[in-house]
Amino acid sequence: MNMAGKTDVAFALQGADWKPLSPKLISARRVLLVVQAGILLIVAAAVALTPAPLWVPAVIAAFALGYMLVVWPWIGRIVRSWGYSERDDDLVVGRGILFRRLVVVPYGRLQLVDVTAGPVDRTFGLTTVQLHTAAATSDAAIPGLPPDVAAELRDRLAARGEQRSAGL
Amino acid sequence: MTEPAAERRRVHPITPVVNVISLLPAVVVFAFLIGPGLITSAAGVAAVIGLIVVFAVLLLGYQYLAYQRLAYWFDDAGDLRVQSGVLVHNERRLRLSRLQTVDIIRPLVARIFGFAAVRIEVAGAGDSRADLKYLAESDAQSLRNEILARSAGVRHDAGEAPEQPLLSVPTKDLLLSLLMRMTTVVLALVTVVIVVSNVVLSGWTGLFTVFLYGIPLLVVFSEFSQLYNFTIAESPDGLRLRHGLLQTQSRTIPPGRVCAVEFVEPLLWRRRGWVRLMVTVAGLAQEKDDAGTQSVLLPVAPRAVAEQLFARVMPGADPASVPMQSPVAAVRRRSPIQWRSLAGGTDSRIAVLRRGRITRRTAIVDHARVQSVRLTQGPWERWLGLTSVHLDLPPGRISAAWLHFGVDQAHELATTQVQHMRRARASDKSIKWMKED
Repeated sequence: MNMAGKTDVAFALQGADWKPLSPKLISARRVLLVVQAGILLIVAAAVALTPAPLWVPAVIAAFALGYMLVVWPWIGRIVRSWGYSERDDDLVVGRGILFRRLVVVPYGRLQLVDVTAGPVDRTFGLTTVQLHTAAATSDAAIPGLPPDVAAELRDRLAARGEQRSAGL
Repeated sequence: MTEPAAERRRVHPITPVVNVISLLPAVVVFAFLIGPGLITSAAGVAAVIGLIVVFAVLLLGYQYLAYQRLAYWFDDAGDLRVQSGVLVHNERRLRLSRLQTVDIIRPLVARIFGFAAVRIEVAGAGDSRADLKYLAESDAQSLRNEILARSAGVRHDAGEAPEQPLLSVPTKDLLLSLLMRMTTVVLALVTVVIVVSNVVLSGWTGLFTVFLYGIPLLVVFSEFSQLYNFTIAESPDGLRLRHGLLQTQSRTIPPGRVCAVEFVEPLLWRRRGWVRLMVTVAGLAQEKDDAGTQSVLLPVAPRAVAEQLFARVMPGADPASVPMQSPVAAVRRRSPIQWRSLAGGTDSRIAVLRRGRITRRTAIVDHARVQSVRLTQGPWERWLGLTSVHLDLPPGRISAAWLHFGVDQAHELATTQVQHMRRARASDKSIKWMKED
């Protein structure tokens, strides 16, 4: 277990095999953000057409733009903070800027590996690998992987899980 | 296991009747809720009664079909198969090698008739259980013995494993312990406030509405009635827990299936040296279980008794010898109240995790049952140089975490924990525990 790197010992799992997510995930998430903000702007425009006082749509539109301005740079930071590492006996997934977490999942504990892709992710050629153990709180997801990498990862995890499978 | 497949078995023909009778109170209440206007005239009353009868007959018909479909048998591989479902046919295979618990449940109505239900839980995510209801008491007992015997890998007709009573909780202690909890005190205050405010606002008739809202203290009573007459017995197929006032329950916890045990010590119990033990067994307590009584291993007992029981459910574990450490001084600014209680450590067999100031909780976790290790850090923790380590367990009442340790401490705890878990997994042999290899 080599989690060293003295500055931020517990979370900076910097090492040769620490794999980042695809940078395309940043674009995909930003497209979703623009869609969300766009929906809010449309709502604001619709409200502007009703007899409601003008400050109401103004507040909604300001909120939409402000939200976009704040979240836009955060998306980049969060996606860059996200990474995973396949070690000898377990998979490590880490993420987060403000609230950080690092999950160590032994291969023998994997019950299920899901590979999913939403419509926006698909247009960017991205998939999410989600790991499930018998604990509901394990929650280890690796989004933003190219489909072939995701499929290989899933098969590797399944094979290692089979080898090292233990009872509950 | 290669025994010839057994023939299909059915539950007792009285099942539809018991099911309908259990539902009748709800039907009557419903009828009174929808049709209070109807009850004013004699014809109206007759109509309501007629409706109830028609409804009951329809219900009986449906339950009869359900009874006809329900069958269970042991297949060639020695696993239990259950067939059910009137409209949607369902056949479920329960792998007995992954058996978690076998319960015998006696709901009030069934109990009056002398019948019981058998609930089988196997490990698995989501719905992994089967309820076989209802069987005559003796049939339920022998079915449970058969399932346990098959699961343990001995011959299925080996008969009931001999049982040895360990301890029972005196009613006086249970009652006193429930009264001496902060939740009870708070609930009592809430009840008083509701009663007084209702009487002040709407006179003595206000007392009536109090009953409609339900007196919060009933929560305490329901816990009392569920944990009433709690007895524990030991048998080769595991610990047998029996309890309940209105609905008695009997659970068996097979050895080696316990993921974690928690010592719970509310503030007012500590002077008496009382402890409650909670337990997490994979596959158990995944349903809505009101007061968490399904996870109770021992409602209340002196510490020494609890420790003896603990030694039986987690053999070889010795929490007292685990080297404990406390978080660094910065923790006082993260948790000004509970910092004094926060402590933890890990040895080659178990992890010990303590937290809570008013109610002190000490979780003891079996390395071989931990699903994953998780480090978390919020902004305030980061500012103070703290990190929490969580041990993810199968769903249950126990949450295991070393809260707010120093970053270096947390890192070291997590690292050693992962190493211990790896060794524990490699040497785990709890499946078919009675079969020597």
